[in-house]
Amino acid sequence: MAQRIWLVSLALSIGVAVGAAAQQRPISGKVVSATTATPIAGAGVSVVGTSIGAVTNDRGEFTLSAPQGAVTLLVRGVGYRSRQVPVAADASSVNVNLDQDVFNLEAVVVTGQATGVEQRNLANAVTTVPSEQLNRAPVQTIEGALQGKIPGALIQMNSGAPGGGGQINLRGVTTINGGVDPLIVVDGLVIANDAIQSNMDAITAAAAGGNPNPQDNAVNRIADLNPNDIQSVEVLKGASAASIYGAQAANGVIIINTRRGQPGKPRFSVTQRFGTSSAANTLGSRAFRDSADAVTVFKGDSALVGQLCRGGCPTFDNAGVLFGEHSLSVETDASVTGGNEQTTYFISGLVKKDGGIAPNTGYQKQSIRANLDQLLGSRFKVSVNLNALHSLAQRGISNNDNTGTSPFLVFPSTPSFVDLRAVNGVYPANPFSTSNPLQTFAELTNNEDVWRIIGTSTARVDAVTTSTQQLRFTLTGGVDYFSQRNDILSPADLQYEPQDGQPGTVVLGKASDLRLNLAGSAIHTYTPASGSFQATTSAGFQYQNKDFNRTNVVGRTIALGLRNVSQAASITSQQSLQPEKNLGLYGQEEVLTANQRLLLTAGVRADRGSVNGDPDKYYFYPKAAISYRLLQPLGGLDELKLRAAWGQTGNPPLFGARFILDSTAALGGQVGQLRPFRFGDTSIKPERNTEIEAGFDATFGQSATLGVTVYQKTITDLLLEQNLAPSTGYVSRIFNGGKLRNRGIEAALQYSPVRAADVSWILRSTFFLTRSKVQELPVPAYLTGGFALSLGSYFIQQGHSATQIVGSEGVVGDANPDFQMSFSSDLNYKRFSLGFLWDWKHGGDVINLTTLLYDAAANSEDWNTEGKTRWNTFLSGKTQPYVEDGGYLKLRELTLAYDLPPETASHFGVRTARLSLSGRNLLRFTSYKSLDPEVSNFGNQAIIRNIDVAPFPPSRSFFFSIDLGF
Amino acid sequence: MRAHSQRILDTRKALIALVVLTVGACEFNIANPNSPPSIGPNATAATVNSATVGLLIALREDIPNWVQKSSILGREGYRLDTADPRFISELLQGPLDPSNNAFGGGQWTREYRTIQSGYSILNVIGTAQITDAQKEGVRGFVQTIQALAFLMVLNAHIQDSIPIDVNRAIDQSLAPFVSNDSAYKHVSLKLDSARTHLLAAGAAFVFDPGPGFTGFNTPATFLEVNRALKARVMAYRASLGALPAGTYTSPTGTWSACTVCWDSVITALSVGQSFMDTTAALDAGAYVAFGTGNQDTPNALSQNPQSAVNLAHPSVRTNAETQSASALLDKRYLAKVTQRVPPLSLSGHTSDLSWLRYPTPISPIPIIRNEELILLWAEARLGQGNNTEAARFINFIRRASGGLDSVTNLGAQPAATILDQLLKQRLYSLLYENGHRWIDMRRYGRLGQLPVDIPADKVFSSMPVNVFEVNARQ
Repeated sequence: MAQRIWLVSLALSIGVAVGAAAQQRPISGKVVSATTATPIAGAGVSVVGTSIGAVTNDRGEFTLSAPQGAVTLLVRGVGYRSRQVPVAADASSVNVNLDQDVFNLEAVVVTGQATGVEQRNLANAVTTVPSEQLNRAPVQTIEGALQGKIPGALIQMNSGAPGGGGQINLRGVTTINGGVDPLIVVDGLVIANDAIQSNMDAITAAAAGGNPNPQDNAVNRIADLNPNDIQSVEVLKGASAASIYGAQAANGVIIINTRRGQPGKPRFSVTQRFGTSSAANTLGSRAFRDSADAVTVFKGDSALVGQLCRGGCPTFDNAGVLFGEHSLSVETDASVTGGNEQTTYFISGLVKKDGGIAPNTGYQKQSIRANLDQLLGSRFKVSVNLNALHSLAQRGISNNDNTGTSPFLVFPSTPSFVDLRAVNGVYPANPFSTSNPLQTFAELTNNEDVWRIIGTSTARVDAVTTSTQQLRFTLTGGVDYFSQRNDILSPADLQYEPQDGQPGTVVLGKASDLRLNLAGSAIHTYTPASGSFQATTSAGFQYQNKDFNRTNVVGRTIALGLRNVSQAASITSQQSLQPEKNLGLYGQEEVLTANQRLLLTAGVRADRGSVNGDPDKYYFYPKAAISYRLLQPLGGLDELKLRAAWGQTGNPPLFGARFILDSTAALGGQVGQLRPFRFGDTSIKPERNTEIEAGFDATFGQSATLGVTVYQKTITDLLLEQNLAPSTGYVSRIFNGGKLRNRGIEAALQYSPVRAADVSWILRSTFFLTRSKVQELPVPAYLTGGFALSLGSYFIQQGHSATQIVGSEGVVGDANPDFQMSFSSDLNYKRFSLGFLWDWKHGGDVINLTTLLYDAAANSEDWNTEGKTRWNTFLSGKTQPYVEDGGYLKLRELTLAYDLPPETASHFGVRTARLSLSGRNLLRFTSYKSLDPEVSNFGNQAIIRNIDVAPFPPSRSFFFSIDLGF
Repeated sequence: MRAHSQRILDTRKALIALVVLTVGACEFNIANPNSPPSIGPNATAATVNSATVGLLIALREDIPNWVQKSSILGREGYRLDTADPRFISELLQGPLDPSNNAFGGGQWTREYRTIQSGYSILNVIGTAQITDAQKEGVRGFVQTIQALAFLMVLNAHIQDSIPIDVNRAIDQSLAPFVSNDSAYKHVSLKLDSARTHLLAAGAAFVFDPGPGFTGFNTPATFLEVNRALKARVMAYRASLGALPAGTYTSPTGTWSACTVCWDSVITALSVGQSFMDTTAALDAGAYVAFGTGNQDTPNALSQNPQSAVNLAHPSVRTNAETQSASALLDKRYLAKVTQRVPPLSLSGHTSDLSWLRYPTPISPIPIIRNEELILLWAEARLGQGNNTEAARFINFIRRASGGLDSVTNLGAQPAATILDQLLKQRLYSLLYENGHRWIDMRRYGRLGQLPVDIPADKVFSSMPVNVFEVNARQ
């Protein structure tokens, strides 16, 4: 049985028995599982009405000193349903059987900065993903581990490049111009999740041709975390749950709890994995019969065509060769946990090296973590979590360009009868385009090297503990520092390098981000002697200080073999500084009454921030929620919880929006200042997201749970840009206004058809659909994103979906999926286990410009059948042929494992051993014509996702793993 | 027990103190360290310099795009770019898309930003901490640059009206559109107003106009550039005014006839006014400078000719004449175009000629040169009816710039023939420079004579008004 760790502890603390003046009597006993009779270690046994408690050891045994007379013991084991056991005055030992909590109904879920309620009482739709589901198959970054597990979340990677770069979108569109990423909280610390561009733009010049948004395929920094360290992830999807995080939580909050120490003898476990990855899809191009056929397309090069197609045109799959590597991936993961009742520790380490599907691509990560929990006396607890991470991502070159360097922008105009492979180590020049992608990948360096340190420390003081009242203070301090270094070297001998007259390009980017958090809470719990209700009052503050400094230096004209920017003949540099401060204050009241069936919550948070037009003004974000459990309302239905919640959160203005300042540039050695195109707003304020949600959670005995939630969120004070007449000298002005509405329905079903000693089987399914509508737009409808109307663009228009796609002929699609579903199965039979997860997105259109480029060159693989028709339809003034349905069905995870019998394991000197085979993204079913429907050329965006311009191809990975426990 | 409560009290005190410290002592009004504030009243000389350099940067921003786009529209060349089919599908075939600055919607936003940057300076220069003469110098310079920016808008938008009274606050109503004809008059008046300021500007500017204005960076020499631009504007007005009614559908009426405008051209180019000089270098003039220094912009038109996608139209070679002293083609052709091996073709258009005109990333793009002034003089003489003089200067350019023979008896030919010769010489002298071909053929009503390669191609007479300007007025 997997051991799970405590989350936020509730009102009853687990402490060492405090010497009391009254006489004591010893009570001992054993706690075992009701189904399998195995002992439960780490279970908490406490005497109701006192602060006396103990923790069971490895054999499930406990001893404590209880007061005289009959007492009731409350026994709680993580993953088990708690039980109250009466102990007669003369009894000195007791055996306790605990039922498994299959559906985690008693798991404690966070409802505030330092408070939590049990899942079964929870008034919000909060999804908890425990570590077994998180780590079903190996994954590079945590976004991949969350796909398909959270109803209400659309999680899509932006490309197939190794090392992350994905978007987690909770409950649909929440903003148009504001920030899009949810808040990420790790052990109480709000961590940085910036996506910092590498400035590959210096090579691709992507941001020059009609769309100034950066297109460097950046990675947002949540990718740094080690998924193996995570005990559970709680996702606060709606404003009513997230309002406790106030002005930054409009996109939801993802709370990550890392694994905590387990009391007991030190337990050491090692996992060793070997695997590989391969391209899941590449694109072919048109096969030509002979030179006469080829010359119809490549008219200007008839002599060359004749030479290459002598005796018929050969075909070479250059894209397949470029993305055809199968390098070895290795991962070693080790952890040790142990401790006693006062001290528990968890230490882990990770070394991971994944090969990529193209030369010079791949991902490496190393992590070391130490989590320590220490009780000092009976009232004081200190936790310290330290994590040092290092990752190196080599992501090649992809996405849009204007220089003919990105592979799938070169392959469209390169015929299939040209062999681009190296001959005797020398790559031929591509006679049909500006670069040879095989040469580019062989020689171009694009490294993103990140060092990160995340440290948090929490002190908890139980100031007052009586039978009716408890007062606790917590103080959390945290530091998150990362240093990202981007090294790009494009040597002078690459075919495309001399194009700009400055052969050889080197880019050095350094970004550092330091976050300091300080948060404090006071929690008061009152339970009257009658026990008729429990009231928890909490209040506190949260202060964040952010210091971000990014520099980027581009050196051009650098000789072959050199890579230092000071050796380049011309240097341009840029720097961006973003200092920021935020302060939030909150108060919350939770009342649990009517025999633990009715939960009422109300709270408010006040935030001020330095990015707001008025940095001293507090913005208030209230919330309220109610849930009621009906016990045994119908036959077969054990419990039905009805819940409703309302709350508000904010989305802060982007840095600099409140200023009206000039921009600078240089001419002839002098620096000049000129007015920018965007007019700021000195009174800019955060967007306001008001959400109401309602739903029910039904439990059918031990076999099934069903949760359904409907929600509606309305966002006002949107950060909008009003297009100005260019004759004013400005292109746009920033202001707050408008109204956006998003409503949807989420459902999660868990079903356990079989649960016996030998077999257990849990099936899970999620369903989610959402629809957005721009209800009020105080500016004329405008195009946002995309490259031009004819090439497909997003159009913000009152009365329409926020993600509608328009083309020359009008509305041609919508990037929002019709619905999403996931199906997962975890089956354990004797020593075997089989788990898989399917992720299904139905609908959701993608602007496919990669296929358009192939068609424009008359070089698409299906040119003679469908390509010609598509292109001619486009030329006749229709964008529809290139706005495709991006629906897919993907097998995200598949794992088959075998646990060695204990005798065999001990024969090898280990306690437990498991062998497993797993794969990620093994199968995909889609009608989409380009590389993969999970794509975003512009990275994480609120609206302008799903634009496909020469992305990095998707890949699938396989691993063989050995898990050993000592 | 007592020790306990004492500890609790201390803990609570510490907590409260911490909160107070955090809340009270923090300054949340953090300035943006990345950008300077705009030029305001009582500006220092350094700020004035910075703002003026900023004005030139703003002017420069759109010039490479204009040179490239206008060369395609005027059939001087192509951009055969597989990564962006719009250089053919939009610029050669249409329709021109007014929503994108890089294509049909261009030559508007950046030019107006230049004009408004100029007004930002003019509106506060009165209180700047510099001498009155220096203020006049700033005014004269800024107004000349503004006139140039207005002209760039007019060069691209011939069939629509444009707003000119744009010195307004952002919350005021938008400047009304005026007719094309009025806009040309406005540009001419602005140049004259600038001249008045420059005459009172003393011996030197307080700012440094940069390497593009070498030789023209004092008020007196810069005035010559001002007069050169005036000559160009007057020539445009005169030729447009002479077009038969209905040549172009212009909703704002036709251009008013102005035969005296030719006289203004001659006046503006005369000795003591501008820098036209048949004994001086043809390349003398004012330029837009590029650089590879930090934060500077390199010339985006520089390219490696053998892998180039910015190509010259084949007709440029077919129509080039042979030099008099050798069997080589026109010197101007050889200096600006070179062979590309192999040829490049895309969507029915092929070329084996690469632009050599801007060979390095620091190659400057001319604003106005001596060579153009000599050709304007010839054009003005033709406009005045003095065919002999016109022919003399046309032949001068043929010999001095192209290395060609003079055309015998050109002065005795009919005016139409002389005009043909003039336009041909303007093509080669001002090739790939500032859209001169498109502008010239258009102002003489000869767009139909431009080569059309395939039936799907069309020649446009004007770009549409930027869609954001149109939408903002609805």
